Amino acid sequence: MSQEQSVQLTVDGREVSVPAGSTIMEAVRKLGEIEVPHFCWHPGLSVAGVCRFCMVKIEGVPKLQIACNTEVREGMAVDTIAADVKEAHKWALEFHLINHPLDCPICDQAGECELQNYYMKVGKYTSQMDEDKVLKPKALDVGDTLVLDTERCILCSRCVRFEDEITKTSTLGIFNRGDRAVIGTFPDRRIQHNYSYNLADICPVGAFTAKDFRFQCRVWFLKESESICPGCSTGCNVKVFQNGNSREYFRLKPLENPEVNGHWMCDYGRTQFEHLNVKDRLVSPLGADNSALSWSDAAARFGELVKSQAGADNGKVALVLTPQHTNEEFSAIFSHLKSQLGREPEVFVWREATEERDSFDGILFRGDRNPNTRGLEDTLKELGVSAKECSGLKDVGLSQAQLAVVLGPEVERAYPSLETDLAVLREMPAVVYFGNHRSQAAAGLSLRVPTLVFTEKEGTYVNHAGLKQTLKANARVMPSLKSLTEFLGGA
Amino acid sequence: MPLIKREYNGKSPEDFRLVLDFEGMENPQGIDAYKSKKGYEALTAVLKEKRKPDDLIQLVKDSGLRGRGGAGFPTGLKWGFVPKDAPEKYLLCNFDEGEPGTYKDRYITEISPHMLVEGMVISAYAFGAAKSYVYLRGEFYDEIGWTEKAIREAYDAGFLGENILGSGFTHHMDVYTGSGAYICGEETAMISSLEGKKGQPKLKPPFPAVAGYLGKPTVVNNVETLAVVPWIVRNGAEAYRAFGTEKSPGTKLFNLSGPVKNPGCFEVPLGYPLKRFIEEEGGGLLDGKKLKAVIPGGASAPVLTAEEVENITLDYECLQAAGSMLGSGAVIVIPEDVSMVDVLDNLMHFFKSESCGQCTPCREGTGWLGSMAHSLAAGHGQASDVERVAAIASQMAGKTICAFSDAAAGPAMSIVQKFPHEFQSRFG
Ligand SMILES: Cc1cc2nc3c(=O)[nH]c(=O)nc-3n(C[C@H](O)[C@H](O)[C@H](O)COP(=O)(O)O)c2cc1C
Ligand code: SF4
Ligand code: SF4
Ligand code: SF4
Ligand code: FES
Repeated sequence: MSQEQSVQLTVDGREVSVPAGSTIMEAVRKLGEIEVPHFCWHPGLSVAGVCRFCMVKIEGVPKLQIACNTEVREGMAVDTIAADVKEAHKWALEFHLINHPLDCPICDQAGECELQNYYMKVGKYTSQMDEDKVLKPKALDVGDTLVLDTERCILCSRCVRFEDEITKTSTLGIFNRGDRAVIGTFPDRRIQHNYSYNLADICPVGAFTAKDFRFQCRVWFLKESESICPGCSTGCNVKVFQNGNSREYFRLKPLENPEVNGHWMCDYGRTQFEHLNVKDRLVSPLGADNSALSWSDAAARFGELVKSQAGADNGKVALVLTPQHTNEEFSAIFSHLKSQLGREPEVFVWREATEERDSFDGILFRGDRNPNTRGLEDTLKELGVSAKECSGLKDVGLSQAQLAVVLGPEVERAYPSLETDLAVLREMPAVVYFGNHRSQAAAGLSLRVPTLVFTEKEGTYVNHAGLKQTLKANARVMPSLKSLTEFLGGA
Repeated sequence: MPLIKREYNGKSPEDFRLVLDFEGMENPQGIDAYKSKKGYEALTAVLKEKRKPDDLIQLVKDSGLRGRGGAGFPTGLKWGFVPKDAPEKYLLCNFDEGEPGTYKDRYITEISPHMLVEGMVISAYAFGAAKSYVYLRGEFYDEIGWTEKAIREAYDAGFLGENILGSGFTHHMDVYTGSGAYICGEETAMISSLEGKKGQPKLKPPFPAVAGYLGKPTVVNNVETLAVVPWIVRNGAEAYRAFGTEKSPGTKLFNLSGPVKNPGCFEVPLGYPLKRFIEEEGGGLLDGKKLKAVIPGGASAPVLTAEEVENITLDYECLQAAGSMLGSGAVIVIPEDVSMVDVLDNLMHFFKSESCGQCTPCREGTGWLGSMAHSLAAGHGQASDVERVAAIASQMAGKTICAFSDAAAGPAMSIVQKFPHEFQSRFG
């Protein structure tokens, strides 16, 4: 930004400089310390200017102005806390609430509802409404993932703009006028696209609720942590919500990152908490007969299998990798085998046979359903390994190997041909399979070892554009689980 | 015949016929009748003499003509905002005439629809629009027919179409009918409606003169504003300024309604005394009733008490100073035997029904005031309700996308503040 294109202004006496053409709302957001209350404005959508909540006072301007549609001027002095501004905020909130049903006790939004939050921040008045409230349709089934309560809606039009501007599906409209205005879907239309849950996120109230979260958990029991979606090679930044006590995962939401996913994530990505919970996890190592093994026995068994192939004149050892693990894990398993065998294993990159790797929906979702295709390529290059890329495991030369060590997919949904490929592995003399699923898909292999999932480990994913992103480790759903390096250390 | 009754400011009543010049003529609507009294002479002169568009804008600026749709915005100034080099521009004639009490625009087209057509072509020439629409209220079946017929006649006579009168200027005109929403009279709601969208106002900026219909520079003017343009072109700015006041030049059509002896549409010089208008032109109240209050400029204008009416003149500045507005020029007389509580109920019912609903203070405020006024009228009110009406109205004003919210708040506030005693007698 060159000097002449930036504008200097003050907000409540604090100086801030923003690019010319910015709005007061953007300047306030940049400043960070102050919040102008708002409902309809959303950084990822066009400006609607309808809630009239974001009133500020500008020196020299007789009437209060909305921050979201007022362009900054050089030397502008903006006041967000003057008595008349506060009064305007309080009244704007009261206008929003007079016909609101106050379903809080049965509303899933309670606890993260902007009406509740703003009532505490700028409201705290005694209601002056004595008249009957306007009643509107509730609990409408508007799509496979969402329920709409039009009475809770504050008509901010965020959802309408999302449908018009982001997915361009234009399913929603505001019908009728005056205080009978009501949000709804056009006749014979349903919200059916891969970004529907974003509507529940941007809705500042509990009008849109997600079917998979309704009545599941009060939000104040949830702990929030940051992570990267493992659903595809875009690598959307996400917030993961886990019950602080039971460690059960309940949902994913997008975490704003302008470089990667902006404000959104896709519905496929939203489901990436389902494989994280204990009920679906492989929690202890299993032998060929599916009997549980202790971690130390499993490590010993793995050690023996590898040792038996050590030495130059022995048979082939295959290392089969899926692009669903971190750079660090790829490197650790390769190096471990190399040092134990005294030579390099033959490396296979196992990809789903039916994938449409290069497809892209124009928003976020990519046909490469692996979070770390680029990371695996980079790691192998760094290790100086030339790997064999396989589209499915049939006829790729695995049958000549005496032992296969496999890092199976963390997200099995990304491998619809999993059964077929595992059948190939089952033909082999010995297979050590690292996986996180309790499912029986890999049953019967010589040794199955549990792995950690993306929310439980530190490490690197490299997305489709070559951007390195770092995973952070949450507590493991079972404290007994071991990371790959911990396991290899014992082997 | 609606004409002022006697000499005013040294001029005889007949001198005040600028817009209603054809009133009283037998079959005045057709193009021949119109041409018999200088019709299309202004347009012909403009095009034959190749008058510079900027000179026309200057002429209208000099005349001091202010928009007759309600806001009184200087017309020449508005035209001047339109970017000169934009390739595609539009003129929209606001013929929604939704303001309760107003029926002047339909009267103009009943008598001289060609005056509107001629005014529109000249205006379009002045700021360079090749296309115009007359946005006409859907229920005005007759007016739709009259206007369409005039447009057809103008095409046939060569005053519309390609290369008008060989001047190289091309202009096309169409009628577009609305569906009777009051809000579609607000200029940006009208644009939304014309674009095929839900009829609701657009956020400003940008203003229509820069980005209006289909995102192109657009001028919206009221029927009466456009209809007087030919007169100004023929007679000059000075002649126009000979009528009215310094800040409100010219004449204006006023619609008198309520229990008066001669209700109707009158052409009156601006600055004319309101009291004289009601008593002389209106013939006073029926049955010798006493005057209680007047709504001077349509339902959106705050009410005036009978005492206030004594000193009011009908011009933008006087009514503004009195806390009300000239608006559309609809003068509604309220007699002594009508309760202001019922007036409030009636007005608030209207605004509750007609708010487009996008801005929260307007959507919720009009609904709230509507319910409160209704319960006050039904005798369920109490003293604190009257205070609440004032408080709600004060928070609705000046905080929304369009002036509708102010239009609802102003009358509510004025009624509870000026007639508190009438509410007391109705408390439950
Ligand atoms: C709620 C509302 C309703 C309006 N209705 C009308 C109308 O029916 N006719 C009209 O000419 N102007 C109406 N206006 C004013 C228009 O927005 C606009 O100012 C006018 O058409 C401009 O033309 P003028 O400058 O020639 O007056 C209305 C304004 C508001 C806020
Ligand atoms: S449903 Fe939610 S996002 Fe949509 S308009 Fe209503 S409050 Fe806003
Ligand atoms: S687009 Fe890809 S990374 Fe983003 S949420 Fe969807 S699956 Fe996850
Ligand atoms: S002020 Fe009222 S009528 Fe005007 S845009 Fe807002 S809600 Fe609609
Ligand atoms: S946030 Fe500015 S008007 Fe809604």
